[in-house]
Amino acid sequence: MDLTTTVSIDEENSVARVALDGALNTDTAPAFEQRLQDVVDKRFALTVLDMKDLDYISSAGLRVIFKAAKQTRSQGNKLAAANRKPHIDKVFEILKALPDMAVFANEQELDDYLDSMQRRALDE
Amino acid sequence: MGLDGEYRQLVSALMGKSIATRLIALLTLSAALIIGTGMLLDYRVSREEILQRLSEQAVVETEVVVRDMENWLNGIEATTRLMARILEQREYSRNGLKDMLRDVVANNDEIFGAAIALNPDLASGGRPFAPYYYSRDGQVHFTDLANRQARYTEQPWFTVPLERGEALWSEPYFDTGGGEVNMTTFSVPVYRVDSEGRRQIYGVVTADVTLDALHAVLQQLHLGASSYGLLFSREGMVMSTGSGRSIMQHYTDLHYKGLDLDSWRRIFQRALQGQTSTMDFPCPESEDRCTIRLGQLQTTGWPIGVSFRQQEVLSPLHTYTLKTLAISAVTLLLLALVVYLLTSRLTRPLQELTRATEQIARGNLDTPLPKAQGEDEVARLVESFSTMNRSLKGYIDDLAAATASRSRIEGELAAAREIQMSMLPGDGDILLTEPGFELWARVTPARTVGGDLYTLFRQGEQFYFAVGDVSDKGVPAALFMARAISLIQQLSLTMSSPERTMAELNNALERNNQNCMFVTLFLGVLNLRDGALRFASAGHTAPSLLRDGSVQVVAQDTGPALGLAADQDYPGNTLQLLPGDRLAVYTDGIDEAFSPEEEMFGTARFNAELLAQAQSPVAQAGAAVFDAVAEHAGTRAQSDDITLLLVQYAGGDEPMSSESFHLGSALTTRVQQWLQDVMRGWDLPSTLITELCLVAEEIASNTQKYAGLSAEDRLELMLILRDNALVLKARDRGVAFNPLSEGKRAPLGADIDAAEIGGLGVHLIVQLTDRQRYRRDGEYNILRVERDLPDQSGQQP
Repeated sequence: MDLTTTVSIDEENSVARVALDGALNTDTAPAFEQRLQDVVDKRFALTVLDMKDLDYISSAGLRVIFKAAKQTRSQGNKLAAANRKPHIDKVFEILKALPDMAVFANEQELDDYLDSMQRRALDE
Repeated sequence: MGLDGEYRQLVSALMGKSIATRLIALLTLSAALIIGTGMLLDYRVSREEILQRLSEQAVVETEVVVRDMENWLNGIEATTRLMARILEQREYSRNGLKDMLRDVVANNDEIFGAAIALNPDLASGGRPFAPYYYSRDGQVHFTDLANRQARYTEQPWFTVPLERGEALWSEPYFDTGGGEVNMTTFSVPVYRVDSEGRRQIYGVVTADVTLDALHAVLQQLHLGASSYGLLFSREGMVMSTGSGRSIMQHYTDLHYKGLDLDSWRRIFQRALQGQTSTMDFPCPESEDRCTIRLGQLQTTGWPIGVSFRQQEVLSPLHTYTLKTLAISAVTLLLLALVVYLLTSRLTRPLQELTRATEQIARGNLDTPLPKAQGEDEVARLVESFSTMNRSLKGYIDDLAAATASRSRIEGELAAAREIQMSMLPGDGDILLTEPGFELWARVTPARTVGGDLYTLFRQGEQFYFAVGDVSDKGVPAALFMARAISLIQQLSLTMSSPERTMAELNNALERNNQNCMFVTLFLGVLNLRDGALRFASAGHTAPSLLRDGSVQVVAQDTGPALGLAADQDYPGNTLQLLPGDRLAVYTDGIDEAFSPEEEMFGTARFNAELLAQAQSPVAQAGAAVFDAVAEHAGTRAQSDDITLLLVQYAGGDEPMSSESFHLGSALTTRVQQWLQDVMRGWDLPSTLITELCLVAEEIASNTQKYAGLSAEDRLELMLILRDNALVLKARDRGVAFNPLSEGKRAPLGADIDAAEIGGLGVHLIVQLTDRQRYRRDGEYNILRVERDLPDQSGQQP
């Protein structure tokens, strides 16, 4: 099973959206790690991992996400996950992974969050 | 603190501490009591004697002075009376009388003055005649009393003797015009008989004595520094006392503190009656008691006495008391010193011995003991301690040697146990999963090493397994067991049937078996394809079979135990296993396990336990049997080695699949592709498929990372579908590594800052399967995980 990664950037709000499609496993993790590293290096205020089409994740994939979470945190930025499928959620739960990572259950929650960010940016 | 408390403190002070202290205290106390009692008795007796002597001395002294006084007064009286006699009988001229008078005064020191007073009526010429001589400043002076204004014929010293008609002493008086001193006068009346025979008053002859002179005589009395003599006139006038202050006063006018006039009067009256009496009274000038002894002078009738302080009289007694006390104290001190020196000398070896034994008790066995001298008890005690010390050293050395030897043997035995267990597949505890069957076996020796054995190996479709029990336990059994197990493995492969193998084994073990050791053995060969079991028994306990919810003992023909006699025949047995059958082969350590009440575990209990665990996986069922046996034995130590081997037959048609993967690129993808195909073919739920794929990926990537293998090496995976579970077995030839116990596991639940990157795989393996087991089989790592299937009713487990 392969993994397709699509990155879309909202420069205005400094938001990167990384959509995963397929399986994030030992085989696909190295390529994804490189792809995500490029995004993290650009220091967006928020990087959202959209897992709407992610069917599978293993500890190798989680390792990449952990690493990215640490890097964004040290930059003062945020890494969030959105649209986790139930069995993906279960893996996160088993490993009690990143209890403090922002998680958006669906598009609506994510959009609301982005709107609030926008408003804040305008207020300033 | 009460008296009782003080007494106990005293006793503990006496009884505590060392023997020396106690001896000194007790001996000194005893001696003090004895000496003190003796001194007290001596003092009592001596005191009586001293008092007696003092009393006598006082009486004698007083008598001497009284006698002196009497003599002295007698002399004066005699002189005066002589003059009176002369005057009575002879006629002197006036000048002759004066001469005689002057001679008397000049020659008698004790006579202060003397007078001859003639009766003017009789005197020649009718003129008064009263010459008076007295001494003053060593000179004799003359005065004529007749020239005085006061007529001497009216003076008491003249009238009273004449009235009374006898010689007498006057009351003391102050003589004015003459001596100008206090004096008393002895007057003698002189009578003459005239021619008609009538007695006529001729005159009076007097002699004066000064009170000072009396005083001087009296104060010769010595009864201590404060003692003094007392002299009173008949009327009670004081004529002499110690101080001289109260002279010429009446005794009733004296004022002393605490003076008891009634007592005074009483003794005074008694003195006038000639009785001597004694009176105590407080001393005028000190706090002491004083004593007055008052008697009467016979010559003059004057009360005479002595006053003294009891303290002073008794001073020799007090001196004696002090001396006695001082001597007692010094004696006691000397005694205590002697006792101390003697006791110290006697108990010094004991004290040294005590110190030495204290050191010895702390473990310093080389502490020197004091030198024992002589043959006394202390010397013998020291000798005994010396002997004890030597023995103790000997024992300790022996003990140390024994302990060292014992721990060496224990170390060797532990090594031997490891070697012995390594001869058993799975090191004495194994769970083997093969397509169509599963096997679990365990040995627990009663001692460090034991004589029970099991072995198993597969040759194609044939699966060989054996369970044996060597006679006896411990090292000899272990050595024989080692021999047996190698022979079993060697011979099983060359022989065509278990009974042939058994006969050969018997001959091989019988050779060079001087100790007559023997082994009972169950030897079976299972055809994995059709479940046919052929087996032979050499006197071994018959196995039990669990089938269709009941347990039966398998009937068997058996030959003799191996190793006793050569060339024996062993009958062959067969048993057809059906899918779901569970065969239990065991040693008599199980059924002959005794409870503390001497009750055997027995075959029935064993079969019941097998039945109770019918639904459990073999490993769980086997462990439950071991627990039941241990619980039955309770506090009793395990008496025999225990071995149990369980074979679970599933049938040759159990769904299974296996595949071998090289460790090159895209391992996960290849593994998951295979797994998904197999599991979809078995119609398993997709969730289960995804999760088992995840487990497989974690196992495979672990092997890839940690097994130390190259990309060409292979990972073998086997998937078996049981009635109620899915079993995944992974086998590789990598370095021995148990991911369940040695694999890195990151702590879970950490936030982003603290989270570790990696170490999550093992968590997923453990969480997503129900049972995990690792074993090293030769040069293979075998990891077996099992996932229960969802219940047939559709409920999740």
